[in-house]
Amino acid sequence: MPMISRRSFTVGTLMSLGVAGMPMFVRAQEGKTVALLFDSLVSPFWVSGIEIMRQTAEAKGWTTLEAISDFDDNKQFEQVQAMIERQVDGILIIQTDANAVIPAIRAANEAGIPMVHFNRPPAENEYYSVAIQADNRKITQDTVQFMVDEARRLGGTYKAAILIGDLGDVNAIQRRDGFFDIVDQNTDIIEVVARIATEWNADKAFAGLTNAFQANPDINFLFTSSDFMLPQIQQVLRVAGRWHKRGEEGHVIFGAFDGDATAYQLLVDGYLDADGVQNLFLEVEMAFGAFEAMWAGEQPDKLLLDPGFVIHAGNLEEVRDEMWGYVVWQKEHG
Amino acid sequence: MTRSTLHPAGARARKAGADGVRAQLLLLELSPLILFAIVVVLFGLAADRFLTLATLNNVVIQAAHIAIIAIGMTFVLLTAGIDLSVGAIMYVVVAIVTLYLGDLPLAVSFPIGLLVGLLIGCINGFFIVVVRVAPFITTLATLFIGRGVALFMTDTAMVFANDDVLTLGQTDWLGLRSSIWVFGVVFVVAFVVLRSTPFGRQVYAVGQDPAAAAKAGLKVPLILFGVYAISGVCAALGGLVSLTQVAAASSTFGFQKEFPVIAAAVLGGTSLFGGRGTVVGTAFGALLIQTVETGLVMSNTDPYAYPLVIAGIIFLAVLVDAQRTRIAARLNRRKIRIDDPQDRG
Repeated sequence: MPMISRRSFTVGTLMSLGVAGMPMFVRAQEGKTVALLFDSLVSPFWVSGIEIMRQTAEAKGWTTLEAISDFDDNKQFEQVQAMIERQVDGILIIQTDANAVIPAIRAANEAGIPMVHFNRPPAENEYYSVAIQADNRKITQDTVQFMVDEARRLGGTYKAAILIGDLGDVNAIQRRDGFFDIVDQNTDIIEVVARIATEWNADKAFAGLTNAFQANPDINFLFTSSDFMLPQIQQVLRVAGRWHKRGEEGHVIFGAFDGDATAYQLLVDGYLDADGVQNLFLEVEMAFGAFEAMWAGEQPDKLLLDPGFVIHAGNLEEVRDEMWGYVVWQKEHG
Repeated sequence: MTRSTLHPAGARARKAGADGVRAQLLLLELSPLILFAIVVVLFGLAADRFLTLATLNNVVIQAAHIAIIAIGMTFVLLTAGIDLSVGAIMYVVVAIVTLYLGDLPLAVSFPIGLLVGLLIGCINGFFIVVVRVAPFITTLATLFIGRGVALFMTDTAMVFANDDVLTLGQTDWLGLRSSIWVFGVVFVVAFVVLRSTPFGRQVYAVGQDPAAAAKAGLKVPLILFGVYAISGVCAALGGLVSLTQVAAASSTFGFQKEFPVIAAAVLGGTSLFGGRGTVVGTAFGALLIQTVETGLVMSNTDPYAYPLVIAGIIFLAVLVDAQRTRIAARLNRRKIRIDDPQDRG
């Protein structure tokens, strides 16, 4: 009978304990309670986001506690404190202001509760939390590059307009920068004649775009920083007599960002050329994965990027399952 | 015998001084018009197609819903009150009309929407007049409740107007868009009510001195109740007019709309302390704000400059208003002079 050394025995025992402990760890993960703190549910992106989170958490056997701050940073800080009092296992937060959330991160750190920022990273700070964010600039660059390629394929020169989001929102700024990164390299065919600050407000988007078309009736290259403004854009283009499908005379090369159900419908119908998609499913997986890593004692990077993708007529069927808006669209259309 | 009869030269000097002050006051009264002219000229120079009828048409169409709500707000401000719930009323009404009344003819669904606005306005009026809760608190509460109800009804999803609504929004009568007609009707009715009816005069009287108005036999609670009801209806109408233009309403519909509405009224010379203001001024304020916003877009101004320019104009208007109030108070001050005994015979 072979002799077992003390070292082999120790290693074997530890491994056995580790294997035996795994179910316990999994069981412990199953009972987790996670707070979902949204600042609002103002667009289909957030509505779908919270729905996917609920489903993913349920599949993992977690309990979720939800609160909405209505863009009120103070109220959100109170919600964080309330969740700390309730001794939740993790806090997923969508803050309004990148700086105002820092005291909340400090409070969560002091309580030893992992915090994950969803879709919006906090400002630079000394405390530890993990942010999941779409690579807004890169996704926009890719979307606008597709539009530029289309413009070059069709030939001619273009007058461009961009609908910018809230200038205080880092996502809006990154999307704007991504747009200009590409058009600035193509000034031989594209001239930006209208920069419309919408403040993420549909009224302002409508009025601003109407005025832009009044000043420049020949705008033929249009990018919106969010899909939620698509109905208003459609209305403006219709009134201006510019609502034409790809391949039709007078079609405006049209790109958008987000990946919602309206964008999917407009891609199918041929009015929208390209849509930069935030991979909401991946972002939720990344956020929940970050919690699991932190519970296991790991320290993931402070910023995890969702690379996203561009969807257009050429790859629609291939990638649409990754588009959260397609899932919503499927539900709406049976 | 007064000093003026004793010293004609001094009287002439005082009269000249008073005339100077009156000229200053007139200049300040006209300052919104002057400001508007400067804005138009500057943007006309900056954007080729700014000085066109089409642009003017767009400005009025886009300002119409704000102007309608601001006219309702003017009634409230004239009584030294405030209505913060106008944006929430817009959203609730539009949510109800699109979600539950979409299959009904507009001749039915829109009046029901207006009744909803009237109901919320009456709720505001009830709490302010009967329960005696401050207007700020009451309307802040209805703001939150209204938005909450609308978010619940829509499940925060975007709601869409049906084709009839869109057709109405694009319909022209005698060359003018439907929203301009609605704005025009509201303007004329409000103008006549404030200018030529006992109710209008009572609104001013209550705003200037509610205690004195009550002593004079005016039914102050009824008047206050009435102005909040009017504001509710105007907010509902503004929401519906906006819906005919933008085709859909997301959960930010009407969000913080109270600010541009109050700004329009104040820009037009309505006092936040009550008793002073006109619907002409309010409509003018709404048009001025929209003209600036239109000009900024048409001249492709850096979006970072938008709030600075708009805030600068509002600040200037408020500053001028403060100066106007000060001079008007000085002119209206009762002068008590005691004759100098040495001047006597």
